Amino acid sequence: MNKLHFKVGLFAVASLLLAGIFTVYLLHARGFFEKTFHLQLAAASADGVAPGVPVVFSGIEIGRVTTLGLNENGGIIIRTEFLGRNAKWLKENSTFTLDKPIVGGAKIRVDSPDLAAPALPDNATMLLLTSDVSKEIPALVERVKAILANVEHLTRKDGDLNTTLANVKTVTGRMTGEYGMLESILGSPEKARAVTESLEKTRALITKLDGLAAKADQWLFAEKGVAEQTRESLAQVRLILNDAQSSLKKADAMMANAVEISANVNEGTQDLAQLRAEIDDAVHKANDLVNEINKKWPFARNPEVKLP
Amino acid sequence: MAAVAALPDEVARVALDLPLRANLSALDNIALIPIYQRHFRVGESNQQAQQLLDHLGHADIAPLRDPDMTPAQRFVTKLARALILKRPRLVIDRPGAMLYDVPYPTFIRQLAARAEMTGTWEIFDFSWNQALYKE
Amino acid sequence: MNFLATSIESLGAKVVGWFTVGYGMFAFLVQASLLLLEPATWNRATFDVVVKQVYFTAVQILHVFLGYALVISWLIISIILSTARDFGLTEFASEMTIRVLVLELLPFLTALFVALRSGSAINTEVALMQVNNELDALAHCKVPPMQFEFLPRLVGGVVSVVTLAGLAGLLALLMGYLAIYGMNAAGFEPYTQTIAKIFDFKIVAGLVVKCALFGLAVTLIPVTAGLETPKKLFMVPVSVLRGMMRVFFAIVAIEVVSLALKYI
Repeated sequence: MNKLHFKVGLFAVASLLLAGIFTVYLLHARGFFEKTFHLQLAAASADGVAPGVPVVFSGIEIGRVTTLGLNENGGIIIRTEFLGRNAKWLKENSTFTLDKPIVGGAKIRVDSPDLAAPALPDNATMLLLTSDVSKEIPALVERVKAILANVEHLTRKDGDLNTTLANVKTVTGRMTGEYGMLESILGSPEKARAVTESLEKTRALITKLDGLAAKADQWLFAEKGVAEQTRESLAQVRLILNDAQSSLKKADAMMANAVEISANVNEGTQDLAQLRAEIDDAVHKANDLVNEINKKWPFARNPEVKLP
Repeated sequence: MAAVAALPDEVARVALDLPLRANLSALDNIALIPIYQRHFRVGESNQQAQQLLDHLGHADIAPLRDPDMTPAQRFVTKLARALILKRPRLVIDRPGAMLYDVPYPTFIRQLAARAEMTGTWEIFDFSWNQALYKE
Repeated sequence: MNFLATSIESLGAKVVGWFTVGYGMFAFLVQASLLLLEPATWNRATFDVVVKQVYFTAVQILHVFLGYALVISWLIISIILSTARDFGLTEFASEMTIRVLVLELLPFLTALFVALRSGSAINTEVALMQVNNELDALAHCKVPPMQFEFLPRLVGGVVSVVTLAGLAGLLALLMGYLAIYGMNAAGFEPYTQTIAKIFDFKIVAGLVVKCALFGLAVTLIPVTAGLETPKKLFMVPVSVLRGMMRVFFAIVAIEVVSLALKYI
């Protein structure tokens, strides 16, 4: 009986001690024993900022947004709170950037380039910058361009194709031209609008490919015994078309990425959404076309087709 | 026997249908009553209970639990529990059902002689057992 | 038509049955809590019974329980960490671990553990007491069974589940730290940040209330189910079966409601 009481007592003491330690730890962690440090951020727009949005420094959360308000001039004042121990990361030359990543919630990023700079005083007001996603679009477009150049390169192989395929050659020649045009337009993508225009060209290309399919059809059904060389060439055309299709898909993925990123940017979103729809349309058409060619091609299932 | 069960509150009953608390020792069963009725401390109550058992001549059964007791020991515990209630009347309800291992009229008489109690003891039994109580 | 009427009737009987059970439990709980407020209840004897209950419900199984919590925590932490690494979401791993384990899974498993071990025992014991007339005997002796038998069990259950869940939670926090940062103090600051972020006042209070409700469910329901037992020995297993079913539903219901309150 006494042993029982002793054990229960020990258990109770240990549990209470642990609970007490944890409570003190929690209070310490939540800054109960520290002074809180306040900072006001002035911003042009409070889009995406809400109370509770974290303020991060080097990827680690050091503070939170407490309230949002307006000042006399109609500007946004975002009040943030930091634990005293985290205030040392806030310097007078720190920059505050509003980050809205594709995955996860918005956060305010603090960059302090010079940690030796004088510390910010309590209740200081700093400017909140918005990270400019539109700057990233040209880089993305460069990558799209590279992919399209690859498509062009593929289509240029036509030059090596058998001359008996005069029709096909003409069409693919035109394809090259179209891609060239496309490239030249995409080469200077100042605005998303330009990309939209380039899409018009892509669609024109798709129309041409359609024509090609029609011709190839006609031609295949007219002549039953196509020459061996012709067959090979046709097989190559099919491969090229397949390549073009996958390249277009890559372009599509890139653009999807671009649209997602720029979804946070007000300006140009409409254009990019339109662009996205058009690329979808174009890729869909190219896909249909290639599928159709594959279906109608008499030797489509011949596994021994080889590139020259 | 509904008449016995319906006896008023000033009666302490010893009966087959009022068993001991099975997972408590004889001592704890008895000591419960001073603790909960007269708000004695646990040690004090245990002491009272032990004294009572000593008086009845069964000090050795204190640590036993209900299943470990003989019918006579069980009866003594129940009797002690009834005595410690300190009610003016004590009714032993059909002792033959509880005390089937001893000649019970004599046994009860012995216990009654040992117990110091001011009230009355009454035994309710079947009429055909009356012969057993004759000296 | 007859069939329809019968099924409606049986449904009605079930609803009434559930309502009666619920009301019984509620009335019992009210009675118990009123008694809890009375200073006379808190005598040394009741306290002793509470201590005994805590011993049998929590202390006696502590090493087994902590071992079990250790294994479960280790497994869940490893799974969450490796999945988070695969998906490149490592920064969410520690938060995820704490939320899943400390706030949800461990209290739930603690409640199940205590229900299986102590809840079933309490149900059987109360049912046997009821069938054997022991409660009537106590009533005859004017020993209040509520104070002497039931209230200590309720208090012991609540104290045990809250403490066990708390200990298991602390263990899981420690394991989480070791799994993420290893045996060094480097991760202390970020881990503290994460903990501070999760455990605000509302969450801690909610956790304690949830564990207390779990503790109440795994003791109150078996006690009332035991008291409902008809005075026939063969009804004891039926009573335990019913009581444990109710305990299970209650635990799940508490968990679902707490999740709904937290995330909806």
